[in-house]
Amino acid sequence: MREPNAIDFWRGFALVTIFVNHIPGNVFERYTFSQYGISDAAELFVFLAGWSIGLATRGRDGTPEPPLRTLLRMVSRTVEVYRAQVVIMALALAMIAGTALALDNPLLLEWHNAGQFFADPIQTMVGVVLLTHQLGFFNILPLYVVLLAIAPLMVLASRISRALVLALSFGLYATSLVFELNLPSWPGEGDWFFDPLCWQLLLVLGFTLGEWNRATPRLRAWSRRLTPLGVAIVALGIVLAVYEIRPDPLTVPEPRLIFTFDKTYLTPARLIHFCGVLLSFQAVYGLIVPWIGPVAPFLAGLGRNSLAVFSMGSLLSLAAQFVRFQTGGGVIVDVSVVGSGLFALGFTAWFVEWRSRKPSPKPLS
Amino acid sequence: MVRRVAVPQAEPQAALVALRALTLLIAGFWPFLGAHAARAQSAPVVVSPPQASAAASVEAVDPSLSPECRVPGSKLYTLARLKAVKAALREHRPIQVLSIGSSSAGLGASTPYPVRLETALERSLPDVEFNVEARGLPGEIASGAGERLRAMVAETEPDLVVLQVGTNDALARVELDAFGDALEETVRWVKSHDIDIVLIDPLFTRSLADDEYYTQMVRKVQTVAANEAVPLVRRYEAMRFLSTSGKAEAHTLGQQFRLNDLGFRCMAEHVTRAITLSLLKAEPASTGTAGQAPVSEAEPSAAKPPVTPSPLPN
Repeated sequence: MREPNAIDFWRGFALVTIFVNHIPGNVFERYTFSQYGISDAAELFVFLAGWSIGLATRGRDGTPEPPLRTLLRMVSRTVEVYRAQVVIMALALAMIAGTALALDNPLLLEWHNAGQFFADPIQTMVGVVLLTHQLGFFNILPLYVVLLAIAPLMVLASRISRALVLALSFGLYATSLVFELNLPSWPGEGDWFFDPLCWQLLLVLGFTLGEWNRATPRLRAWSRRLTPLGVAIVALGIVLAVYEIRPDPLTVPEPRLIFTFDKTYLTPARLIHFCGVLLSFQAVYGLIVPWIGPVAPFLAGLGRNSLAVFSMGSLLSLAAQFVRFQTGGGVIVDVSVVGSGLFALGFTAWFVEWRSRKPSPKPLS
Repeated sequence: MVRRVAVPQAEPQAALVALRALTLLIAGFWPFLGAHAARAQSAPVVVSPPQASAAASVEAVDPSLSPECRVPGSKLYTLARLKAVKAALREHRPIQVLSIGSSSAGLGASTPYPVRLETALERSLPDVEFNVEARGLPGEIASGAGERLRAMVAETEPDLVVLQVGTNDALARVELDAFGDALEETVRWVKSHDIDIVLIDPLFTRSLADDEYYTQMVRKVQTVAANEAVPLVRRYEAMRFLSTSGKAEAHTLGQQFRLNDLGFRCMAEHVTRAITLSLLKAEPASTGTAGQAPVSEAEPSAAKPPVTPSPLPN
């Protein structure tokens, strides 16, 4: 178990933010940073995933591990994330159906994109395992599966040339923006909520900046110098978010995705805003750690076990939505569901580490 | 299409039969006072739904709907003009429809709702081609859903948006004013780009019949539709009507799920009816000559000769 560090801390922070934001309408939502900017916790999560891949594919002494091991490591991680997505989708659908039956309330079956499954289970079941049917709020892991699947290519190619990888990644991003390329949904119409063709750029940026940061102190020096620019961008983001100022997608010039604030396609405005967030908060962990006591190890613990915590968080936020709906919500309910949810996330992280520490029992024979 | 019954039946409660026959006669003749008069045959009596309460059957149910979906017009929709669709019709180009919402079809239905809607629209207006694109709203509520809707509209550039609204907001217990404001803003935005919009309010289910918040949310959708003068398909009222009528058809999951299933199946027809009648609604400036609105209980004054629905007015 590694000591708390900035990467795990911010990952944990992103996980908590995602958990709270996935209980729409709750009172804590307005205290998350997502409400005060153009980008949100999803960007942070994917960027840090890229950064972590750089750490995971090197030995303790910093030498790159053999290519085959990198490949197998990434394939294994892809399978793990895929398995998590299929399991939480099955559990979520069962939770929705079970709650609808228990409350005798078919309205719940129409919960964010679930109607498709209950109306047409034959096709949609295939869509679930193909990742082309995604419930609302359950659409991050499919993106993550695709990103991890292409990650070995990114890692190995960047050992030849980081600039080439960045150029290819940016090229794919720009092409997808201009031509609105995305992976299709099926059997429902439309596209993926997170377009992997665009979001891959953030993973590559996280990975490449992490590698660059390791190789040379110049990155750190430059990013320190650019901090005021980052703060200005964040300030602008706050103004735009609070006053709900955003471009009208029907009046912007073509290609419109260059100009709009669109989460699906990680449009440039979101990317620039996220870079501003990075520049502004790069040194914050070191500054606040002495003051926040157990919060830092708590969040870092969540970040170390991000897949398990994210999966549990998705299911807990769904359960919290039902509790809020059935009780009518309100501050007391919100404090209870968010509070017990955070406790459960902390327990999940602790449990995963406890289980991996414990020597596995002898197989039954 | 029109079911008939032999009115005098040997029943002990003759008075009740007479009363029912009277209401049925009124119900049955109501549409025939208008355009269907030409087609009126010898004493047809519309009896659908068969066990409609006396109060409900005073108003005619809509005979253009499938028997199990028949609901009186006043419970089914409020109408308003659809300028963009009319313009597209005048230019003789296919109508692009963007259907946004969470539900797709009845449980285990063979045909998804968007396909059903397209089929129903093309059956209703045979010479017009409709292309229905469907999208869900994955995980956004209130103004966030408005944002997503803008992106979808920009992507598909439709003539008409059919928006099922309120479900996810109700599930999240979004504050009513915040919900209403966001919806109003969305509707205004769509209209400001010369795109028509039809709203569909959320479903009726008995477990929420006494839920003050939920009924107020349904009313909020009505208020926005009325203030912004856009057509509204009153799915809540239609399903509530259907819940009091019709055969007690069994459903493995119970009564509420049967109703839900039926509500889904009928939604495409109900939306189509509201769109068709809204299209036939005369422009205030129009002289109302050829191609004027055929019969509709929503427009009892339309006592004009029947026409095929196409070509359309103007």
